[in-house]
Amino acid sequence: MDEQIPVGRVLRASTSAFTVGCRQLIAEQDLMTPKLGALLKATGRNGRVVYGLTCNVTIEDDAFVRQLVAAGVESAEIIEDQRQKRQVPIVVEVIIVGHGDENAVFHRLPPQPPRTLDEIHTCNNAEWVRFTERHDWIRLLLPAIDAPVDQIIVAALRMASEARPSRLEREQYLISAGRELARLLALDLTRLDGILRQLR
Amino acid sequence: MGEKIMQRQDDVQKRGAEARQLLGAQPQVTEELLRKIERAREIDEWRRGAKPLGERLDEHRCVAAQTSPVTLIAADGSQIFPDRHAITTYYLVNTGTIVLRKGSGLAPATDSAPEIHFEDDDVYDDEGQLVSNEDISLMRSRREIEALARLAEQEREALGGDLSTPIVALVDGPLLPWLRPDPQRSDKINEEIDFVIAQLARLRKAHAIPIGYVDRPGSAFTLRILELLNLPIEKITREALRRGRFIGLTDRVLFKDLAPNERTGLFTPYTNANDRYQARSDGDRVAFAYLNVAHVDRGERSVIARIEMPGWVASRPDWLDAAQAAIYANCEPTAYPYVLARAHELAVVTQGDKAELDSLLMQVMLRNGMVPEISVKASNKLLTGRTSGR
Repeated sequence: MDEQIPVGRVLRASTSAFTVGCRQLIAEQDLMTPKLGALLKATGRNGRVVYGLTCNVTIEDDAFVRQLVAAGVESAEIIEDQRQKRQVPIVVEVIIVGHGDENAVFHRLPPQPPRTLDEIHTCNNAEWVRFTERHDWIRLLLPAIDAPVDQIIVAALRMASEARPSRLEREQYLISAGRELARLLALDLTRLDGILRQLR
Repeated sequence: MGEKIMQRQDDVQKRGAEARQLLGAQPQVTEELLRKIERAREIDEWRRGAKPLGERLDEHRCVAAQTSPVTLIAADGSQIFPDRHAITTYYLVNTGTIVLRKGSGLAPATDSAPEIHFEDDDVYDDEGQLVSNEDISLMRSRREIEALARLAEQEREALGGDLSTPIVALVDGPLLPWLRPDPQRSDKINEEIDFVIAQLARLRKAHAIPIGYVDRPGSAFTLRILELLNLPIEKITREALRRGRFIGLTDRVLFKDLAPNERTGLFTPYTNANDRYQARSDGDRVAFAYLNVAHVDRGERSVIARIEMPGWVASRPDWLDAAQAAIYANCEPTAYPYVLARAHELAVVTQGDKAELDSLLMQVMLRNGMVPEISVKASNKLLTGRTSGR
C-alpha cells in the first residue's frame, strides 16, 4: 500500500457519499479496484481532500455478456477476451468519513461534496496512518445505512493496522480501536461482539 | 396487415415444401440441367442464378468438431458519411479487427483503426462533388480485406511458417464488394476488383482461408436452378424466367433441414462482380455453400448462413472442412461468428460517438477563431428531435 493507485473519477457525489466510475478492464481488477473498506481520497481545489471508505464495488454487465453466460460459453479465449479486451464498467461506491488538507485531517463530513470527474486515488500507508491516528471516523461510519457498516469497519481496521510498520504498533492500534468500539457500542453488545470476533 | 403477413407465411411454407420436394425428386446435376442454366444465363444476364459445382444439388457435408488449434481473423468496418449540413465536411472510416488463436487460452488481439478525412482532396472528387457514400463504402471494404491480408501474413510469420495451424479470415458479408454495374464506372469497378484480387493473393500466399460470411442470406441462387428443372430448354424465355415458381423465397427455406454443422454442396453464383473477378483473376470464381451454424444442444432451430470463398479454396476440401469446423465452433455462443461480432463492436461508430467527435471539432474550430454552424435544416431537425432520415 505504498503507492497511491488511481481508481477512476467521480460520477456523482453528495456530502456523505460518492460514486466512482473506473475506466479499467476486468483483467486489471485485482490491481486497480479498491478492496472493501479501502481508504480513498478525492483531491479537489486548493488541495482540499475528501476521504471515504469503499462500501460497495459493482461490475456492470451488458447484453453481450448476458448472452454468453446464457449460452454457457466454455472457450477460454472468449472468456479472456471479455475480461481483458472489453470495457465493462466497474462502479465503486464510497462513504465519506472525513476531509482535510496538508495540515490537518477532520473526521467529519466535508462542507462540499467532491466535484464530478474529480480524480480518485487509494491512500498509501502514510496516509492511512495519518487518517487513523484518532478513531472519530468510526463514529461517523456507525450510523450509516444501506451499507454493510460492520464489515467495512472490520476491513478498514485491518488495513489501518497493516499500514503500521511494526507488529507492536499494529497490535496497539487494534487494541485502541477495539476500546473505542466498546465505548461507542456499549449499548449494543451483540453488534460489538460481532465486530470484535471478525477482527480476531 | 396481420392477415397479409399470415397469408404470405402460408404461401412461403407451401411453396417452400414444394421446392424441397422438387429437390428431393431431382437432385442430380445432369448435362441437360447445366445446359439449361447456361441458356438461362444467356437469355437474362441479370438473373441471379448459380451453377452447381458438384454432382448433386442436395449434397450435404458434416465435418468433425473442431478441436485442434486454429487462428480466426475477422475484420469489419464502419463509417460516418459526409454531411453537408454539419459544422464541417469530413468523413470517417473505422476498421475493427480481431485475431483469435483458438487453443491458446489467450485473449485475442484486437484493434480499432479510425481514419478521419477532411482535406479537400479527400472530401471532393475531381469535379468538385462531395465524395459519394458508395465510394466511402468501397473504401471501408478495402480496409477490411486489406486488414485480413496483413493480419494473416503476420500470423503465419508468427507461426514460423508452420502450415499445420489453419488461418481462417472472415469478412462480414459477401467476399466481393457490391458494385453497382454502371458502364460509366467500369474502370472504377475493375480497380476495386483488382484490389480484392491482390489482397486475396496475399491471403493465399499466407495459406489463409478467406471466407465471406453472410448471415440470414436473402439469396435464391439454388431456387433459380430448381425453377429450370421442369422447364423445357426451348421454353426458357425472359418472361418464363421472371415468372419463376419460387420468386420471393430464399434458399434458406430449401436448406432449413440441414443438420447442425452441415453444409450444402458448392455453387458458383452468376453475378456481375463474379464475372469480372473471373475475367481479371485468370479464371478463378467465387463459390459458396450454405451452412447450418445452429447448436442443437442449445435447442436452436436451423440458423442458415452463406459462406463464400475463392475458387482456390473451394477446390481444397481439407481447407473448406477446416474453415467450416472453425466457423461452427466459433458460432457456439451466439449462432454467429464471435470474431465477427467483436470486429463489429470494435468498428461500430454510434450516434453518440459521432456527437462526441462533432463536439471536439466544434471546440477545435472555436479555438481557431471560427464559428461552427450547422445548416438551418439540421438545426430544425434538432429542434424537432428528428435527426435521422434525409
